[in-house]
Amino acid sequence: MLALLPQAIIDGVLLGGIYLTVAMGFSLAFGVLHIIDFAVGEWIMLGAFIGLIFTKWLGVDALLSLPVVFVIFAVVGWLLQPLLHRVLSGSRGRPVLMGLVFTFGLALAFRGSALTVFGIFTHSLDTVLSQGSWHLDWGPFFLTVPLIRLAGLVYALAVILGFNYLLKRTDFGLAVRAVAQNKEAAGLMGVDVNRTSAAVYGLYVGISAMTGVFIGAIVSLNAGMGPDLSIFAFFVVVLAGMGYLAGVPWAAFLLGLIQSFFLIYFNPSHVLLALFSILYLILLISPTGMFRKGV
Amino acid sequence: MQRRGWWVAVVLALALGLSLAVGPVLAADEFKIGVITSLSGDLATGGNVTKRGYDLWGKAVNAQGGIQIKGKKYPVRLIYGDDQSQPAQAASAAERLAVQEKVDAVLGPYASGMTLAAAPVLEKYKIPMITGSAESPLIWRQKFRYTFGTIPPVNFTGSAVIKTLAALPGGPKSAVIYGTNDAFSKATAEAFQATAEQVGIKVLKFNILPPKQDLTPLMSAAKVLKPDLIAFGGHDEELINLVKVLTQLDFTPKALLMHYGVTEPAFIQALGKNANQVLGASVWTGSMQTKGTLGWPTAKAYADAAVAEYPKDPADYTQAACSAAGLVFQAALVQLAAVPPLDEAARTKLVEILEKIDLQTFYGRVKFATEGDYYHSNAGLTPLTVQILDGKERVVAPAESAQTKLSYPMTPWNKR
Repeated sequence: MLALLPQAIIDGVLLGGIYLTVAMGFSLAFGVLHIIDFAVGEWIMLGAFIGLIFTKWLGVDALLSLPVVFVIFAVVGWLLQPLLHRVLSGSRGRPVLMGLVFTFGLALAFRGSALTVFGIFTHSLDTVLSQGSWHLDWGPFFLTVPLIRLAGLVYALAVILGFNYLLKRTDFGLAVRAVAQNKEAAGLMGVDVNRTSAAVYGLYVGISAMTGVFIGAIVSLNAGMGPDLSIFAFFVVVLAGMGYLAGVPWAAFLLGLIQSFFLIYFNPSHVLLALFSILYLILLISPTGMFRKGV
Repeated sequence: MQRRGWWVAVVLALALGLSLAVGPVLAADEFKIGVITSLSGDLATGGNVTKRGYDLWGKAVNAQGGIQIKGKKYPVRLIYGDDQSQPAQAASAAERLAVQEKVDAVLGPYASGMTLAAAPVLEKYKIPMITGSAESPLIWRQKFRYTFGTIPPVNFTGSAVIKTLAALPGGPKSAVIYGTNDAFSKATAEAFQATAEQVGIKVLKFNILPPKQDLTPLMSAAKVLKPDLIAFGGHDEELINLVKVLTQLDFTPKALLMHYGVTEPAFIQALGKNANQVLGASVWTGSMQTKGTLGWPTAKAYADAAVAEYPKDPADYTQAACSAAGLVFQAALVQLAAVPPLDEAARTKLVEILEKIDLQTFYGRVKFATEGDYYHSNAGLTPLTVQILDGKERVVAPAESAQTKLSYPMTPWNKR
């Protein structure tokens, strides 16, 4: 079974790539805006459906819908953020709790609307990459890499590197980091906190929506897919350390690799047990995430 | 403070008055039949198959004016409870239908797990339930007095396909078998495994998986073993995902058998040409030569009526079994000759009638077993092997019912 080792690793990394796409926007939103957005799974789901509509309407490849989906949802996020801000900094007390309730309510509203508008059926997004795969044969080892999953990984890494560049090398990124550190002080330093926050939220929603297109192509999409994705986003971000964006890829790959190895080499019935045992063990030893840099 | 208290008292008094005025109805002029099924959640596709079946029966019986009891016709009102694909909600829906809606009978859920959750509740309130969809033998082993099913357990249906494959010249010699860990899927996978071992197909790998796992690592592992047959027990969405994973990994086994979901129209719609040559199990198709003494006269008549009502969703055997479940209640209620609403004594008598009923329908013969491992299930039907060919479900075995030859081995994905 050693022959399967490269495949197990690749499968794990590709699975981690999927988890990364789901968790990266969520981590950004928490790290900068301190919002735990329960609706992350629903943003992904809506992005997938808009991608589906666009693809079916124009008869084009699903991946071509990515820029359209990003723009639409970035605008939606930009417009929604002030409302979120009102809830979070409201005079009603317990702003963090209200934020959770608000995003949870958003999630329910989106899910219900999607069920009503799009129905209960599961769909699949077709792309030119959907059935392609790379085969590598070398001695006893062989590898099959599904192209669409590879595309998902490339997308995830591109976004993470893009974030890194944005945050470290641009003025906008400087403003974002200032807001994340201390909103009031940032405002005093001349940063337009409202605009910056709206832009970050818009970015997060746009990225999550694009993720939806990939998930729809790699796996499938239906109106109820949100909650499971939200839960996984949560796990990845907690493992990485809440607010520590740089830890998210490592956490995502770790979870993907654990799952992949367990499914291939051990009894698959126990994969969830293994996954959560390791998760809890890590958190027991290091409650602020695997790099001890979380909130 | 006093003002607010005064208003609360007024509102409460009004509410009490209104509820008393509406009050209990002494006699009903309709039969209230509760329906518990998955209208949302992961199993919603299957749940809607059952909904179509039950609705078709409801419409047909009401088109005739209703069920005739003592010279008067009583229409049937279907009251839906959504189990949201969760057993806890199934039990909750059963409770609500029994206590609040006070239904006379219940038509049962799509998924065996839901049936297992709702059955004890209905047993407590002594409300008979017939489900058109439960295939897990676990249900019948519990020997619920008030629960019946019109489909035989998956040990019958599932094993027939494996036997058909084994009998093929040059048929599969090895298999990898997976099943999701729920009441139905696990039983299906176990039935596949037991039969495979019986007929000499070597089972290279057998695993029961937690639901919603990513199947890529598993299928990568299976690919190495080069099995002739991949058999999978699961529900709709998982089956679609499995085919997608196999196409992504570019691995085409010689035969792919999955249950339950292959016979649903959504399967073919989602996968297009990749659905072709996939094998499934069934106990009924619209081409069968059955004759019904109640309701639709032939299988074809039902199939045509179903397509007329739901043009995009041709009826499969689960939908047919659900309509048949309605017909069984209809026949039993006529025999009971009791006027609605049915009290506990009447419902218990209904159960006794159901145990003795022997009805020929468009779906086949319905006669519930009254003892043994398959207590209260309809174990007398002939299992069929079906295959998707040219985007349509075709019967390929047994020989007496076959419409065409079984296509084996499968054409590789990238050559389609």
